[in-house]
Amino acid sequence: MKKTVSLILALVMIMGCVFALAACKGTDAQNNSGESDAADVSKDDSPEAAYVFLDEKLGIESYAIGFRKDDKELADQVTAAYKALVKNGTYAEIGEKYPDIKDYLNLKAEDISDDEIAEQGSGDANYTFKHGFDLDFPPYSYRQDDGTVGGFDVEMAQALCEYLGWKYEPVPFNWDAKDAELTAGSCDCSWSGFTLEGREDDYCWGITYSKNEQGILVAADSGIKTLADLAGKTVGVQTATSAYDMLEGEDGKSELCQTFADLKVYETYTIAFSDLKAGAIDAIAIDMTAGAFLIANDKK
Amino acid sequence: MTLEVMLKTMGIGMLRTGGIFCLTLLGSLPLGMIVALLRKSRIKPVQWVIKIYISIMRGTPLMLQLLVWYFGPYYLFDLPIKGWRYPAIILGFVLNYAAYFAEIYRGGIESMSVGQYEAAQVLGYTKTQTFMKIILPQVIKTILPSVTNEVITLVKDTSLAFTLAYQEVFSLAKQISASQTSFIPFVVAGIFYYVANYAVAFVMERIEKALDYYQ
Repeated sequence: MKKTVSLILALVMIMGCVFALAACKGTDAQNNSGESDAADVSKDDSPEAAYVFLDEKLGIESYAIGFRKDDKELADQVTAAYKALVKNGTYAEIGEKYPDIKDYLNLKAEDISDDEIAEQGSGDANYTFKHGFDLDFPPYSYRQDDGTVGGFDVEMAQALCEYLGWKYEPVPFNWDAKDAELTAGSCDCSWSGFTLEGREDDYCWGITYSKNEQGILVAADSGIKTLADLAGKTVGVQTATSAYDMLEGEDGKSELCQTFADLKVYETYTIAFSDLKAGAIDAIAIDMTAGAFLIANDKK
Repeated sequence: MTLEVMLKTMGIGMLRTGGIFCLTLLGSLPLGMIVALLRKSRIKPVQWVIKIYISIMRGTPLMLQLLVWYFGPYYLFDLPIKGWRYPAIILGFVLNYAAYFAEIYRGGIESMSVGQYEAAQVLGYTKTQTFMKIILPQVIKTILPSVTNEVITLVKDTSLAFTLAYQEVFSLAKQISASQTSFIPFVVAGIFYYVANYAVAFVMERIEKALDYYQ
């Protein structure tokens, strides 16, 4: 018995040490990040940022809300309500909180006429809107600093439900299983930085609310300046993203892809970015918004 | 995100992981025994069904099985699947692990020598008594190390629940890692899995020692 107790105590102590170490490291990292944030600002002004996008872009696409093909009524209702939020300024207000993507939010209040918008409180109060989204996609939908679920798309969906008088239910899903979740009815829509192009016929599309450019992210000192420079280089991309579809698809940039030495497909961009920093790959093909987020949060 | 918030958020995930782990063991350990006994049934069709079940459970990835359990009711029978996420995860894990445990039990039961049964018969034990009082206690002793192996694998396999977007510790680590562009969440998850497995190994070793009454 005594032995058991002493063993458990030892275990707790080891755990304590490990966590304490981690905690020290954590505060260090924070202090450093505070400094490097300041440094980043100066870096942004000079052309010496550590990681930059090539001026040549891979392509321009757009984010929209995808509904089941037979759900046109719901799609129209959400679109009308979304327009109302653009008109009353909520869209711009929420956009202000996400500086990385602000420039890509391309809906303007003055372009929307009064007869297109839904009336406040016009929704069925008993209806629960099930918002399907991916939690790995900052800053549109992700786990925020305080540990709660948030992001531009999540805040917009919540504001939209509030406006219509609907109940809101978040349904985080695994991105690879989004179609199954949507078809099976566990959520009403796919709304989390969801690219429209290439999927036109697969969903009933609601409003297009954000531009999305795909670019190539490289180390500033890599000497890669154009897409042609990527010949013989190793490029990383996240699986099931539009950048991936573009490089692997038949009608996109597959010719460009063939000039690469290798296309490495990652589970997440965080890992791809670490590989870029470590020098294991030369470039990352990525949505500009997601790439801007990575650069902005690059702690070292 | 401060480390405190990260640990708090992931702590909830750890509890959820622990929930899957406990419910799976609670379901699969007894179910495995039933399967093992049915596997040795004298009725041939029962044997075949069990053989096919074990072969499918061991022969396909658990990730795939989870997807089938969750989405199957909708795609095959057009049933609504609201609220079915968690039961589907537990069902998937229990059925999968029961197949593995069943084979471990079978190995243990078959390692008992005929002499044991003969001696029990001579002493006038019925079949049930022989199994419950003579065979089973010895089987448990023999198979404990293999069971420990499987239980440790289970701790790590719980991360597969991310396929069905269940917010257990590994899903959370992935999400926090994406939003913080940092690997620290994975380190925290790693420490959690290690400590949990250390505890499992420790408890199982105690049980093994307690059962070691012939030495």
